[in-house]
Amino acid sequence: MTELAQAIVNGLQMGFLYALVAVGLTIIWGLMEMINFAHGEFLMLGMFGAWWLSVAVGVDPLLAIVPLGILMYGFGTLVYRLLMRRVQGGDPFTQIFATIGLLFLLQNTVVAGFTSDYRFVGDSVLTRLSGIKLQLLGITFGAPLLAAAGLALLLFLALYLLIERTEFGLALQATSEDREAARLVGIRPQRMFAVAWGVGAALVAIAGAILVNFFAVYPQVGLQFTVLAYAIVALGGFGSILGTLFAALVVGVIQSVTVVYLPPAFKDAFVFASYLLIGLFRPQGLFGRF
Amino acid sequence: MRRLFVAIIVLAVMLTGALIGFPTARAANVTEVLIGSVLPLTGTFANYGQQYLWSAQTAEDIVNNDYGDLQVPLGPGKGFPGLGGAPIKFIVRDDQSRGEQARTIVEQLISMNKVHWINGEGTSGITSIIQPVVESAGLPLTCHACASPTLTEKGLKWFWRTGPNDKTMVASVFSFLKEWREHGGPGDLKTIALFTCDNLFCQDNRKVATELAPKAGYQIVLDLTTKTGGTTLASEVQRLQAANPDVLFFVQYTADATIFQNDARRAGWMPRVIATSNGAYSDETWLQAQKKSNGGAGWLGRDPTAIDLVHERASWKKVNEVYKKYSRGQNMGELAMREITGLLWMADVINRAKSVEPAALAKAARDTNMGPEQLIIDYKGIKFDDNQQNVLATGVVTQIGWDGEKHTLWPWDLASKAKFKAVYPSPSWQERDSKPKPAS
Repeated sequence: MTELAQAIVNGLQMGFLYALVAVGLTIIWGLMEMINFAHGEFLMLGMFGAWWLSVAVGVDPLLAIVPLGILMYGFGTLVYRLLMRRVQGGDPFTQIFATIGLLFLLQNTVVAGFTSDYRFVGDSVLTRLSGIKLQLLGITFGAPLLAAAGLALLLFLALYLLIERTEFGLALQATSEDREAARLVGIRPQRMFAVAWGVGAALVAIAGAILVNFFAVYPQVGLQFTVLAYAIVALGGFGSILGTLFAALVVGVIQSVTVVYLPPAFKDAFVFASYLLIGLFRPQGLFGRF
Repeated sequence: MRRLFVAIIVLAVMLTGALIGFPTARAANVTEVLIGSVLPLTGTFANYGQQYLWSAQTAEDIVNNDYGDLQVPLGPGKGFPGLGGAPIKFIVRDDQSRGEQARTIVEQLISMNKVHWINGEGTSGITSIIQPVVESAGLPLTCHACASPTLTEKGLKWFWRTGPNDKTMVASVFSFLKEWREHGGPGDLKTIALFTCDNLFCQDNRKVATELAPKAGYQIVLDLTTKTGGTTLASEVQRLQAANPDVLFFVQYTADATIFQNDARRAGWMPRVIATSNGAYSDETWLQAQKKSNGGAGWLGRDPTAIDLVHERASWKKVNEVYKKYSRGQNMGELAMREITGLLWMADVINRAKSVEPAALAKAARDTNMGPEQLIIDYKGIKFDDNQQNVLATGVVTQIGWDGEKHTLWPWDLASKAKFKAVYPSPSWQERDSKPKPAS
């Protein structure tokens, strides 16, 4: 029983990190209905940025969240204005190919600049906590992951309030639901799309700055997270911030619990099987609306 | 009549020259030797691919330039003396770590670029995909750092490997674990867990370990295959912890090894021995990163060379200087050493063949009998068996010490030269945290 409880706790902690990775995609794909296959590369840029600031300038990855968030916000809006705005009205395949092209461009630019070496943040606030463990009812909580999960939760709640409780968030939702109607009430849709791309990129870069404490940094690191992020957004319901959080936790727990009882090969298979199962009964996802 | 006589003489001389001097004529016609190199420069295995690229650049530099005092094949002199000084040229293509892409590239290299030799792909799985293409084209193919035994056991006519295979290297680990008891090691290590990733390389290691562990006196208490490129291994660590093996046989790539370390640290779990095979253990970036955290201290694993002893060789030092010109200052790791050794052997074969005709190259490759003095790695030499596997390629066992460097543990004669006392048991996470870090 303790074994199962430990697996659930491990899964929940990872789930919070997945949520932070996926929420940027929720805004771009789920809310604004634009496809972004380069989402994982935005994460990779965030990880590289945090690693570089840590190694070259001595800035802790947690502090790097601020400059990286701002920088990647600008990068996200630039990607929209220079690339995505031009393909927005076209066939969805155009968006797919444009963002796949962006994926290769970003990944290979980083390969050219930094090589494909694995890089590690050796010393940070979170890695220094690595020796500390909390025990509760026989369940172990590692301090770094717990702190990261708590931070992810805080950022998530801030985003939820921003989207659901502010005029800006309502304008974003209005643009997503009916671009023309939004324009009639004075909202500039193109600006909202650019902001959505900026916020999405900033969020996933922030996720990268947290993940850099736990994972090796290399140009292809984004892929494994992108696949999960797509599953999470679809499972949680397109455009639903809370749905994304819930789905990310579910995915974390499914991954974790599956491996305790079955061969690890089933880990991701069960995640996608759960999406297929939910899709049969709620194609719009757990918290999504049509 | 006189004119007719002169014409007959000229014709006879030309005919004789054409028959007797055929190889010479062919040699004179070769303006450059083209090596098709298909590598994983991007994608999952890009980290390995770039080391192969730097190795190819190093070999090209050594062959084409005069390194008079470098005692490796084709070190002194420019180009191939056997081919009238023709230079070598590597045509490098990136397969993005994808098998089908590698296959297409190899077809292009053969049909469009007309290469004389294919080297690649650097990973056993993708090399097994390109093998049939090259075999049917009848060109020499080599993958020196590929370790899967199946690559040579197929009995292919056109595939050669100078490096040791997994059987040789994993056998080294289990020979060490078996003999350690009689050489002052612990006598109570009895159980083992196999923790391997899911590709051909890891699974070949797993198969060999499954066979050898019981013979070395170890009971396998858990055999866990993981998905390559995951995001968490926390539950896998839970299962390892529950099985509580004395020895963990660990075959994972760098990214997954890092995830494992974090999850094992969080769980507070450390087996008494971690024995690895290639993967992260062969990755210089992983090794260097461990110096910041003592994360690698006590890990032992198989290597193709006694890396602490080979650094003393003059030829190693000189080749390393050339390598560093291309690797942005990074030293040759054992992977690069295996690759460069193989590429310089290839250059020697081409030179001896005095031709780029596949049949002549194959004959020269089969006739190889190279001594250890020409190598930058401590194989006993290069000589092939019927499957064209180098029978003189050896395996050693090394261990990462508290200094973050690898030291030789086995075979015992080399270990006595290395004078290193094994780190045992594998230090707990607390001990790793409390000890000074080599990089700080």
